Amino acid sequence: MSFAFTPENQKKFEALLTKYPTKMAALLPTLWLAQNQNGHLSLEVQEHVASLLDLSPVHVHGVVTFYTMYKQKPSGKFHLQFCKTLSCGLCGSEDLIRHMKEKYKLEHGKVSEDGKFSMELVECLASCGTAPAMAVNEKYVEQLTVEKIDELMKKLSVA
Amino acid sequence: MTKVKITIDGHDLEVEQGTNLIEAARQLGKTIPHYCYHPGLPPDGNCRMCLVQVEKMPKPVIGCRTGATEGMVVHTQSDEVKKMRQSIMEFLLINHPLDCPTCDQAGECRLQDYYMDYDRIPSRYQEQKVHKDKMVDLGAGVMLDEERCIVCTRCVRVCQEVAKSEELFVQERGNHSMVATFPGKKMTNPYAGNTVDVCPVGALTSKDFRYKKRVWFLSAADSVCQGCSRGCNISVHHADNRVYRLKPRHNPEVNDYWMCDYGRIDYKFVNDGRRLKPHFKTDAGLQEDSYQNAFAHLQSVLQNYSADQITGIASAQESNEEINAFVDFIKSNFGSLPIYFSKNNPENPYEDDILIKADKNPNSAHIASKNLKPVSEISGGVKAVFVQRNLSAQDAQVLKDKGIQIVALFATNETNLDNLAEVILPIPTFAEQNGHFTNFEGKVQGFTKALKPRGESRLFAEHAEDIKALLSSIKKAS
Ligand code: SF4
Ligand code: SF4
Ligand code: FES
Repeated sequence: MSFAFTPENQKKFEALLTKYPTKMAALLPTLWLAQNQNGHLSLEVQEHVASLLDLSPVHVHGVVTFYTMYKQKPSGKFHLQFCKTLSCGLCGSEDLIRHMKEKYKLEHGKVSEDGKFSMELVECLASCGTAPAMAVNEKYVEQLTVEKIDELMKKLSVA
Repeated sequence: MTKVKITIDGHDLEVEQGTNLIEAARQLGKTIPHYCYHPGLPPDGNCRMCLVQVEKMPKPVIGCRTGATEGMVVHTQSDEVKKMRQSIMEFLLINHPLDCPTCDQAGECRLQDYYMDYDRIPSRYQEQKVHKDKMVDLGAGVMLDEERCIVCTRCVRVCQEVAKSEELFVQERGNHSMVATFPGKKMTNPYAGNTVDVCPVGALTSKDFRYKKRVWFLSAADSVCQGCSRGCNISVHHADNRVYRLKPRHNPEVNDYWMCDYGRIDYKFVNDGRRLKPHFKTDAGLQEDSYQNAFAHLQSVLQNYSADQITGIASAQESNEEINAFVDFIKSNFGSLPIYFSKNNPENPYEDDILIKADKNPNSAHIASKNLKPVSEISGGVKAVFVQRNLSAQDAQVLKDKGIQIVALFATNETNLDNLAEVILPIPTFAEQNGHFTNFEGKVQGFTKALKPRGESRLFAEHAEDIKALLSSIKKAS
């Protein structure tokens, strides 16, 4: 199976190119677009993006590995990103992270067997006022407690 | 170009405007220490080892990317500069393994050199070092030890700029940065050996050379690569009368700082598979013997021919001097027939528009200047030939088809002609003599003797003297 942009994303990609002085400069948003379509940036997707932008695959790979928000492996349907930085830490994120491991067998870098959940520890989500916080895919869930997490996990596992 | 006046450590000098400070200081014979800067590559400015102070500039600047401007006053030896160098060294060594006893770079390593010059303090780092893969095969004969890499990106730039093939790139970031190829791919470019040369530390090593010899036991002789008609300038690194490696030597007009990977390993024939003694044909096959017996055999063979049936085939692999000596010998002792030449003539030779030429002979240009004929045009009158060095397979076939006998072969190595020649006389390779090659552009380039002629090999002129004596005794007898 070879990767190509959907017609809709192809249009977005072409629009992107008009915003930058060189093709190389459009690398980050192009990777983002590809990741949104494919779920993660497989080696094949990276090679495809390289050919679209006249870059070498190894250059694109260097950029992909530099940024943690580019995913090289598939995530679960729900990607749970727990903040591990100071404010959340002070408000008990470590307990929550331990809870995830004990109850749901989820930890940093892990995908659940059914492919539904994946978990990652991230740096500050800029939600210190409502710590502890996490992001489920793109959406924030704040002022977390063990109960709140259990409720959410129940809801998501049937979603 | 505009010239500007600048001052470096109190010395005034004039340089072209924009000359970077490392090069400007070089003109005074001063070295500003550096890792990532290489005069043959575009500057990057990542290592910060070249920090210097420039008056009226608020902060130290990197010498490799600061261009000279009128009136600039530069300090490269101040206490502040020395302190910065020490700090950069300490920083670079935080995660560096203590591999020196087993590292091939030891003895020619910038980390070792600059540690002694500028650092000399014990490590203050108490934490665990970052560990990485120590044996990554990058392809093309290049091995990477990720722990030793200081991420200067010289190797990345060599692939981009010299080989024109971006096969390496820095992956990951921070402590975890390392150079790598795309997962599942290897380097394939024919200039990859240059990445090992430019690597200022022991991160990249040559599979061919690693663990063979400590570099301080090697001596170097200026030479010229004999792999193709480009004639890249090289150094022959040798010890114990053997060649251990070839390295490119800077010549902006021929090869700049580089050489190709074919040329780089084109020294093995000097060490191995040599003809080190005279041989001659017997009923029992080829026999290794003394010069005396070989010449006696040659005499008996030569008696079967008259002078006007004999000529010679010169080789485009030999030096100007050896070709001249050979051609002169044939002309003055036989001379009524045309003289021929043969070339190393592989099928589908690789070439590119960087350095590598399709003509795999170092001296075709000199052969062309001698008015010789190709072996394919050899005429009916020729019954016997002296052959210099070797013949291409096609040319050997021509001799076989026409029943022309090789009376003597002057050989460096065992070849496919061994069973065709009556006598084989050993000659030294380019590494064992002084001489010149004329490259495809007509540049005459000298190479120097690295080794003593191996075994009993002798230059052509010495053989010629003995053969002349033979010929005159044959004449007297008849
Ligand atoms: S790269 Fe240099 S400093 Fe590092 S281990 Fe090798 S010789 Fe020692
Ligand atoms: S491998 Fe050597 S040349 Fe390449 S980045 Fe590392 S230290 Fe520099
Ligand atoms: S040599 Fe100037 S920053 Fe590396």
